[in-house]
Parts: sequence; C-alpha cells; structure tokens
Amino acid sequence: MNILNPLALLFALLAVPIVLLYLLRLQRREQSVSSTLLWRQSTLDREANALWQKLRPNILLFLQLLTLAFLVFALIRPYINQPGQTPARTIVLLDASASMLAEDVPPTRFSAAKKQVSNLIDDLGANDQLALILMGASPRALSGFSASKAELAAALDAAQPALEAANWGAAISLAQAIAQGDENTAFVVVSDGANADDAKLLTGNVKFIPVGANGENVFISAFTVRRTVRGLAAFVRVNNSGKSAASVLVSLRSGDALLDARTLDVPAAGSATWTQNDLDPALPHLTARIDQTPNAAQDNLAADDAAYAINPVTSIRRALLVTRGNRFLEQALGALPGLQVTRVVPSVDGLTAGQDLSGAVYDLIVLDNITATLPSNANVLMIGAGAQFSSTGVFSNTGFVRAEASPIAQNVDWRGVNVLEAQHLAPPAWLQPVIQAQGGGLVFAGDGASAGLGRVVALPFDLFKSDLPLQIAFPVLVANSVDWLSPAQGLALPASVKPGEVIALPGGSQVVLPAGASMAAPDGVFADTAQPGIYAVQTPRGRGYFAVNFLDARESDTTPQPNLQFANANAQTQTAQGLSQRELWNILAALALVLLTIEWWVYQRGLRTRKA
Amino acid sequence: MLSESFLKSLVGLRLASTRRQRGALMGERRSARRGRSIEFADYRNYTPGDDPRRVDWNIYARHEKAYIKLFEDEEDTAVSILLDVSKSMRWMAEDETAPQKMERAAEIALSLAFIALSGGDRLVMELSSGARIGPRRGAGAMAHFASAVSRELTRADATSMPINTWLRRYAATSPPGMCFVVSDLLDETGYQDGLNVLATSRAEVSVVQTLCPDELAPRFEGDVRLKDVETGAARDLSMDNATLRDYAQRLKIFTDEAQAFCQRRGGRYFLADTSQSTGDIVARDLRRQGWIV
Repeated sequence: MNILNPLALLFALLAVPIVLLYLLRLQRREQSVSSTLLWRQSTLDREANALWQKLRPNILLFLQLLTLAFLVFALIRPYINQPGQTPARTIVLLDASASMLAEDVPPTRFSAAKKQVSNLIDDLGANDQLALILMGASPRALSGFSASKAELAAALDAAQPALEAANWGAAISLAQAIAQGDENTAFVVVSDGANADDAKLLTGNVKFIPVGANGENVFISAFTVRRTVRGLAAFVRVNNSGKSAASVLVSLRSGDALLDARTLDVPAAGSATWTQNDLDPALPHLTARIDQTPNAAQDNLAADDAAYAINPVTSIRRALLVTRGNRFLEQALGALPGLQVTRVVPSVDGLTAGQDLSGAVYDLIVLDNITATLPSNANVLMIGAGAQFSSTGVFSNTGFVRAEASPIAQNVDWRGVNVLEAQHLAPPAWLQPVIQAQGGGLVFAGDGASAGLGRVVALPFDLFKSDLPLQIAFPVLVANSVDWLSPAQGLALPASVKPGEVIALPGGSQVVLPAGASMAAPDGVFADTAQPGIYAVQTPRGRGYFAVNFLDARESDTTPQPNLQFANANAQTQTAQGLSQRELWNILAALALVLLTIEWWVYQRGLRTRKA
Repeated sequence: MLSESFLKSLVGLRLASTRRQRGALMGERRSARRGRSIEFADYRNYTPGDDPRRVDWNIYARHEKAYIKLFEDEEDTAVSILLDVSKSMRWMAEDETAPQKMERAAEIALSLAFIALSGGDRLVMELSSGARIGPRRGAGAMAHFASAVSRELTRADATSMPINTWLRRYAATSPPGMCFVVSDLLDETGYQDGLNVLATSRAEVSVVQTLCPDELAPRFEGDVRLKDVETGAARDLSMDNATLRDYAQRLKIFTDEAQAFCQRRGGRYFLADTSQSTGDIVARDLRRQGWIV
C-alpha cells in the first residue's frame, strides 16, 4: 500500500486535544460531604464491575480516536496497485514520435507501446471506456471514448509513428478536451519519455507506462552544404547518445555516386564532425549517411542515419545592369555568388533612354535611372522607378515608418537611411510598398504577371540622392532583391523541410519522390513529405530540388526517461503489467462515518441509562 | 438559641422513661418512690398531674403558690444528654448559609435539657469535644447549659472524638438514668461499640439521629469527587440515578440498623430531619413517640 498525501499525517495530532478534552472532562468537581460512609459502600459496589465502568467513558474516546484514525488514513489517500484494472474512463496517449521507432525493444518501441495499450484494452471492464490519442507532430484522436474492444483494437492497429517530434502540449490539450473536465478520467501515457518536456502540462490522474530499454543511437545531427571559392563544402556532425563510444563509417553521396567516406569516432554522449571541401560545384544535391556501425546495437534508430542537402547554387544567374555608372550598385551585385552581371552603359553602348530590351534574355534586369521597354516575364530591379512608372510628384519627408514582412525587407535596417527626395509613385495594384516612409513608399515589390512582367522591385529615388549605398542595409537589400527576383535554383523552393511539412510549389509542378514515384502538385501545394530524402521538382520554369530532413537532435536522443514529470507529482510510473491505482480513501471515510454513528449511539445510550 | 416563648411551651413536660413506664400506672409510680428517701432535695413548681399529696402546703399557705417537694430519691434519676459536635454534625451543604444540622441538634439537646431541668432532674451534658457541663439541677441552671453549649459550638479550636471513644469514655463515669444521645451516628469507625457499652451500663439510652436534607436526599449532579469532612477521604462518583438510588438504599439500611440496634438493647431511637423546626421535633414528634409526657 502506498500513500499520495503523507503530509496529512499531521492531522493525527488532533488526537492530542481529544485526549486532553477527555482528561479535562474527567476532572471532577469537588464536593464536601458530612461522611463518605454511605457513598463509599456504593463505590465498593461499583468497583466490582469497575472495568466496565472505566471503559464506558473510554469507549467513546476509543471510538473517537478510531474515527480520527480512519479520517487521517483517508486524508493521506492510500492506494493499492491492482494489476489489470483500469478506471472507468481512461484516455491513452500513445507517443508516435520518431524516437518510438528505436529498435532497442524489438521490433520497435512503438510496437512495444502498442502491445501495452493492447493490454489495457484487453483489461477493460464491461462498463469501462477508453479513448486513444496518437501523439505526433499534430496529435490525433484515434478513438473517442469507446467500450468496444474490437473498435479500439482496430484504431490501435492503424496507429503508425512518424519521423517527427511529438507535440505534447497539443496532445494534452486534446486529451483534456476529450476528458471534458471529468476528474475521474485517468490518463495513461505510453511513451519512451524522450523529448517530453511538455508532459508536465498534464494534470489529473496520470499513469505513465515507459517503453524503451536504452538510448544507444548514432545519428546525424547537422548536415549543411555551402558554396566556397573552391567549390562546395559539406559539413556533417554525427552525435552519439549512447553510453559507449562508437566508430561509424559516414559516406557522402550525390544520388548514387559515392563522393567520399570517412570513419568517425563518436564519443559516448558526444559528437564528431567532418568537413569535406572541394566538392564539384555542379552537384545538385548531397546525401550524408551513416553506412555502418561496428555494433548494430549502438544504433537503435535508423531514420536519423541519413541527411540531405541541396546545392545552394546550382546555376549561374545572369543579370543585365543598365546604368549610366553606379559603382555602389556594381559592387553590390558583383559580390553576390552565382550572379553573372552584364553591365550596359547607354551612352557607351549606344543605348538611349527608352531603349528596347525586349530581346534580352537574362534572369534579372537592373535598371538604374533608366527607362526601357522590358521583355515579357522579365524580373526587374528598378532604381529611380519614377521614370518607369508614373509619379505624382516628389516628397522629401522620407523618415522611416515601417517595413512590411517581406523577403525583400528581411534583415534590412532602414532606420539609419536618409533619402533627400523620392518620387511619389502611383504604382499599379500589384506593386505594394515594402518599406514605408512618412511621405510614401520607398521600396516596392510585386509580381507583375498581370502587366506582362515577372517579379519587380522598385525604388522611387535616385541612389545618389540618398546615403543608402553607404549603409549596411544596401547590400542586404540588393541581395534580398536579387534572391527574390531570381531564386538560386530558378525556383522559389525551400532548401530543406521537416518530414510532414507542407510546401508551396509553382502551379503545375511534378514532384519525384525519393523512392522514385512521381506525383503531381496541381494546386501548388505539396504535402507528401513524410519520407526524408531529395525531392525533385519539375516546373514549367525549370527543375529544382528540395530536401526533407529529419534532423532533430532531441528526438534522436533516444535515451528513455522512466520518470516523467507530470503536473501531478504523484503520477505513478507503471510497470509493464499496467497496474492501476485503487484509492482507499472513500472506504476509510465510509468507515469513519459508521464509527461516528456508533459513537453517537453509544453516547445516547449512556445518557438514557443514566437518566433511567 | 431557644426563644423564651418556646421554652415556656415546654413547661410542664416531663421526660418519660420506658423502664418506669413499663406496665406502670400512676399508683404504681407513686408507690415505687414512696419511702425511698425522706431527705428533702428541692422544690419545683406544681404542674397539673402531680400528686397533690406532694404539694408543700406550708409554702402554699405562705405564698399561695403550689410547690412540689422533691426528695433525694428523685435526684438519683439523673439525665445525661450527649451532643455530638463532630465535623459531620457541623457540615452544611455548599449552598446553605447556616449550619442547620448542628444548630437543630443543639436546640433539640437544649430542649431536652430544659425539660429535664424543669422536671427537677439532675442533668449532665457531655459534648463529643470532651466538654462536660453540669451536673446541675433545677430550671435555674438552664442559662448555664445554654451558654456553655453555645460557647462550645462557637469555639474556633473545636475538636471531636470518634463516637465510639466518646461514648465509651462517658459510659465509664455515667450515672444510671436516662441518657439521650443526639448525633448523626456518621463516623468512620462506627457507633455500635460505644452504644453497646453505654447501654450495658445502667443507663437507658435514647438516640436522636439528626440528619439534614442534603444527607437524606443528596442533590449532587454530574461527576463529582466527594470529600469526607472528617477523614478527608475522597470518593469519585458519577451522580447518575443509579448512584443516587443506591445511596438512598444504603441510607435506609443505615438508619434501620441504627433503630434496630437501639431497640435490641432496650433503647429508643428517633430519626430527626433537621429541616423540621425544633418545636415540631420535640413538642410533637418526641411526644408522639412517648419520650416526653
């Protein structure tokens, strides 16, 4: 038998005043009499059955102390563990996070957890109800309260873990919503306890059934590829959450082609890194993989043994800069990797104002205070855009007001920028201000598809009439603008997403999954990213890649936590048999009530005897 | 202590002896005394019922008042009154204001004394404190007895012997005659030995047991510790109905035993409730009992 509230034992001290009251009660009033001669004789008579006489007041005391004892026992909330007995309403939270795929409990932790839940379902009484919640990145109720074992078993069978971290907070909210505030609902958490900080949000009657034997796992915690002057550089970090050092063979591939391989010695609960330089800059994507560990038991989780990265710059973007001479702009553009700038000076190259550039094929056109006829679908950065768009005048109150949440304005600190005067632009509807000054917009951006243009970024002022080129904001703005106007891959694809994440693709895209299957994403949304790997995207505007990576060091640290912290500090960790607590306080309270009734009856009876 | 008018109402009463009354007629009583002694002892007032032949006609001729001549043989019929002044006699219930029991007992004793004195008997009063008053004779000695008793009762250093010791001591020196014992008979060591010794002396013993209402029907309630005023002994009792019923039973046995004890030894017994007036007890009850005629 265990107790939940040992502090309530202090109530036992109430026995002291009860006994004291009895002692006071028995202190007799003193009365003088002429003689105790006649009284004594009756006392002698009484002494013949003195035991009963002494006990009569003490029976009440005894009953009262016994009542107190039962009440105190009820207050300390004792309970006994009963195997296989589940309270009437139980909500099972089944951890389906990536760490549950660990194979330290064969076949996997998740299978072991399902077996536990299956036992709970088998142990349901006739009137007991059970609800099932699968704790993934977005928790799901597999089954509401149900007493049907077949229904619950079917729901459990359908449960699958995913390569994602469990969202404990959302799962607990869902569980408590299902419980509907019923305090008698018991929560059973079946989990390895990895990455479960939010478990403490769970209040109420919680039982924890831990799964998992050990935390032996070697995994890739970081993999990045960047472009350097000498080509591509890949960085791999391998972690080891186990208790012994591991020597692992890590390979670097692009597609099926092996680029390099290296043996890394990863210390216990530590990490090792590998930086590989001088890789072919033309490689579209790279894969790092832990190919083998000397001891299979050192790597319980296979899903985190590979990581994928996309070559950040796979193609040279070509930009046409039309300017009468702007050293700041030339330098800012020239510093951008993978951007090949062709400079055209109208006077030198025989171009005049309003030059027709419609025949030029460039990824990006930069117009510096020049008006020109633009080719269709051209992506344009316009400096001094008043020449290209109609303006309603000039304003000089150019104090910074705000920057919109736009990729153009990202990391651009405009507060220190001073502009002497700017054109009051009257832009078409698709061109929206990105940076606002008091007098009007200073940076505009928009997709000009409706006007026969590509993406457009417009600055309605002359760079020489501002100190913007001298500010740190300038190269950032130019880099942002170029990246937005002409994405590195030619497609606006994220480099890496988490499994299960939804990404936006250009309309009409075709996606080739890592496994080789091809899927269409007609409405521009792609959600089948459960499988980590390289996804190839074919769009009308070109081919690109994105990687799906399960890189979650906390989830990959599969060390099981047999003791989770719940809001109720008294939550019990259950052994594999799935014990349930049976609290005894209600029985004790009922006994106390019975004793109280007996005590009252004895007292009343005593009064009647005396009066008779 | 006793009012003049009350004493006057007692004039003419005489203490009656069972022995002399046993089968006695007036004539026999006279003849029994006749010729016993011719030695003059005293005069006393004539009261109706006295033998007219004993009137001193010489004095009557001189004073036109009838006096009876008393002779030595009557002096020998001594009356002794033993008054218990123990702490139990002086006890009063806590809500009482005056020691009713002691006062009433003293009044009874003095009433008997007055009757004895006015009857010309020789009187000795003996208190349980050891004080002895008398012997004296004649109504004139009444004031002496009254003041001596009242002095004894108000003494600060009042002591008292156990009843047995007291009665034994008195029996050793007692003259034959009538002996009245006024006591509650409540004593740790009992009273039987003393009365036995007294009764086997030549004295004719009459016991007036004085008990106050709080002894006859105690009014205690709840859990009390009773403390004996004489011995200091304590008894813890719960005053429920059973206890009080038991006490009443014990008391009845106690008084019945005292009465039987006295009667077995040729004595008389009367239980006086001290809540009654002295007049009621003496002039009514004791007369009804035949102790006084």
